[in-house]
Amino acid sequence: MRQRPVATALPGPAAEDERLADRGAGRHRAAPAGAGAPALEADGFGWAYRGRHRRALEGLTFRLEPGRVLLVLGPSGSGKSTLARALAGLVPHVLPGTWWGRLAVGDLEVAETPARVLGERVGLVFQDPESQLVMARVEDDVAFGLENRGWPTAEMRRAVPDALEAVGLAGFERRATATLSGGEQQRLAIADVLAPAPRLLVFDEPTANLDPPGMYATLARIGELASARRHTVVLVEHRLEAALPLADDVLVLDGAGRQLAFAAADQVGPRTAALLAGTGAWVPAAWAGWTAGEAGRAPGDGTRASAAGAQLSGAAEVVVSVIDLAVAHPALGGRRQAVAGLTFEVRAGERVGLVGPNGAGKSTLLLAVAGLLRPAAGQVRLRPPGERDALLDPARLAPRPLAELVGLVFQDPELGFVGRTVREEVLASGQRVRGGPGPKGRSDGGLAHLTSADAVLGRFGLAALADVDPFRLSQGEQRRLSLAGLALRPPAVLLLDEPTFGLDRRGTAAVLDLLDEHRAHGQAQLLATHDPRLLPACDRVLALADGRLVFDGSPAAFLADPPYRPAAPWQEAATTATRAMPAPATAAMLDARHATPTPELL
Amino acid sequence: MSLLPAPLEPVRPAFLTRVTPAARLAGGFAWLLVAILTLDPVVPLRLLAAGLVVLVLWSGLPLRRVPARLAPLSLAIAGLVVFSVLLSPANADLDLPTLVAVGPLRVTGPALLGGLAIGLRVLVIGLTSLLAVAPSDPTSVADSLVQQWRLPDRFAYSTLAALRIAPFMAGDWATVGAARRLRGLGGGGPRERAAEAGARLLVLLVSAVRRAERMALAMDARGFDSGLPRSHYRLLQVGWRDWLTIAAGVAVAVLALVLPR
Repeated sequence: MRQRPVATALPGPAAEDERLADRGAGRHRAAPAGAGAPALEADGFGWAYRGRHRRALEGLTFRLEPGRVLLVLGPSGSGKSTLARALAGLVPHVLPGTWWGRLAVGDLEVAETPARVLGERVGLVFQDPESQLVMARVEDDVAFGLENRGWPTAEMRRAVPDALEAVGLAGFERRATATLSGGEQQRLAIADVLAPAPRLLVFDEPTANLDPPGMYATLARIGELASARRHTVVLVEHRLEAALPLADDVLVLDGAGRQLAFAAADQVGPRTAALLAGTGAWVPAAWAGWTAGEAGRAPGDGTRASAAGAQLSGAAEVVVSVIDLAVAHPALGGRRQAVAGLTFEVRAGERVGLVGPNGAGKSTLLLAVAGLLRPAAGQVRLRPPGERDALLDPARLAPRPLAELVGLVFQDPELGFVGRTVREEVLASGQRVRGGPGPKGRSDGGLAHLTSADAVLGRFGLAALADVDPFRLSQGEQRRLSLAGLALRPPAVLLLDEPTFGLDRRGTAAVLDLLDEHRAHGQAQLLATHDPRLLPACDRVLALADGRLVFDGSPAAFLADPPYRPAAPWQEAATTATRAMPAPATAAMLDARHATPTPELL
Repeated sequence: MSLLPAPLEPVRPAFLTRVTPAARLAGGFAWLLVAILTLDPVVPLRLLAAGLVVLVLWSGLPLRRVPARLAPLSLAIAGLVVFSVLLSPANADLDLPTLVAVGPLRVTGPALLGGLAIGLRVLVIGLTSLLAVAPSDPTSVADSLVQQWRLPDRFAYSTLAALRIAPFMAGDWATVGAARRLRGLGGGGPRERAAEAGARLLVLLVSAVRRAERMALAMDARGFDSGLPRSHYRLLQVGWRDWLTIAAGVAVAVLALVLPR
């Protein structure tokens, strides 16, 4: 069963962007014809985690031939990660639950093969580099998986440098894993699973935590591995513009983990594209033309960027004023980049996108604007609502007045939850108003509060979960709740750190709708993101590099000529931005448009 | 605001950095034994002097950072000494001359010596542990414990993985505090502050468990603890330096004990 497919010629020393671009065309023919056992075979495969009513996966039936690349597409909660875990045997051998049907990797039945044996056949790369690197030193981390399988030391000494070389980390052997960039860490994670020479490589959103250069380098390496055709590859990935050209086949799942389609990537037509769009998942730009415009419109097409941009800029008051700000001592966990010489303003009703590579100082800046880090030089001033002259230093405010003025949505919503139930979480913003004197002395009765809290939960699709512990929610639900917590009493300044991280297209659109609403009421928004798809929805873009401000201008100007070199990663991601997001819509419109496809469509 | 002091690492190659951790632990163990079993201050004082010589000449550790590393321990020692001296039964012996008297409190010579001895012993234990562990990176310590002391893999490498996560928790702690402050929490009197710290700790624990789960899953996917005998990428070989370290450690311990005082 280990027939080696004939490798296509490697692209040679071409630039990485060409390698990525090359891969779409002409390569599919080179894949071996389906002789012998398939690399992967599912027949009615389904899975439900113990304690969950709903199945994570249902009725998967497909065959993947050796050496091919399968791209798995679907919205949040469609079971993509569960499929990745099943291929590595973590489901059902480590995580408990109920199994249906058949899933085989080569000649091994997953349900009947110990995870140890499957582990030799399958390499699984996870999303989060921080929690999949085990050892403190690079070479030790690669060796870890080999040691676990009892490899002789001499063989490990050969395999470790080979694996590092394959991902472009030759010479990194003695480096501490903690000193690597996110992209380097993720490539190390790939080397970790390459070293034991598996035949199936599974990537579960390997670039989700990376900045555009890290994403680009990581996907380029995956592309190289795929084109060498020594491995069969299963790829779960949100950044479709870079991932789709790598794919030979695509598997489309719906929100309930059911298989909607399995097809060769170059034979996907309007029907599959429409099915995918109907699930609320991201849709590749190349397919967007088939999806009745819903997934194919640019978010920045006049509607999303604040309609009154012109009238704002002159008249609206400055809400955030940052003058010559420097934060010298990277405090707060000790992993923050210092910033210096930052000067900018944000006006009422303005949304400013904040971009930059990892370690450019975005988080430091957000924390300083929120008054959580004291400036070493310069100043941060915020204007409370209704005040014409007073500008306050947020670092000098007590918690309650500070919370009135500014809110921050953290990348990891879990760390910010203050309530014991979902409803409490939303109410917490109202309670603090009752406790302290609000700026306008508004007098909502307790009952009015409860009603409005439930209304907020309804808007965010959390009504059924009102009495659930926030920590028990899924990732997407937690993110919605973190925004819902600020909805009852929106602060004058809203800071957001990767607010759409891990969300699918529908979830992203819902977040932007909410932000639009608050912005229309004059909220100033500063939104840090790695996802250039969000930039057209901003009024302005600030770009940081090494703690300095290197760009302050319109999103269009930024996307046309990013202040980073190489610029390609920022621009390539930008091509996604202009096509794969729906235009703004109310929740009702979204529901109507994304309803399960009607039979006529099928 | 960090929970953990930065770990101490050697900044230059030195004799002890080339000794396997197991040998350093064996030599250090003799010191610990002697320090624990003696009651007078002379023996720990001798070991402390020997330890400082080793630290300066052969550890390769950055000397300027050692006091900060031992600072938490020193605080504990100070408390220990004060209470041992004040509460010593020797103070009640009226035949002994009074050294210091403040109001009803009376301190005698033997009480003071006994208290100092206790403090010195704890300091020796701290310094010896530092010399045994710090000259190698944690991975080597785990490798050495598994290969030479036959500690179970599961225990040693799980501990190692936990150590790697620890710095992230320090960052999470700061983030949780920041997030709660921005929800208007964290002010008020001591009672509110105590309740707030408890709530904050709970969130931190939940997030730590999540991290640990993700790490455990990644380790499982890479075949950890699958029942196969584990092999070793870095083979630790016992050489003359190791035997010398053990012999010297034991010799110093014995000398400190038997030399006339």
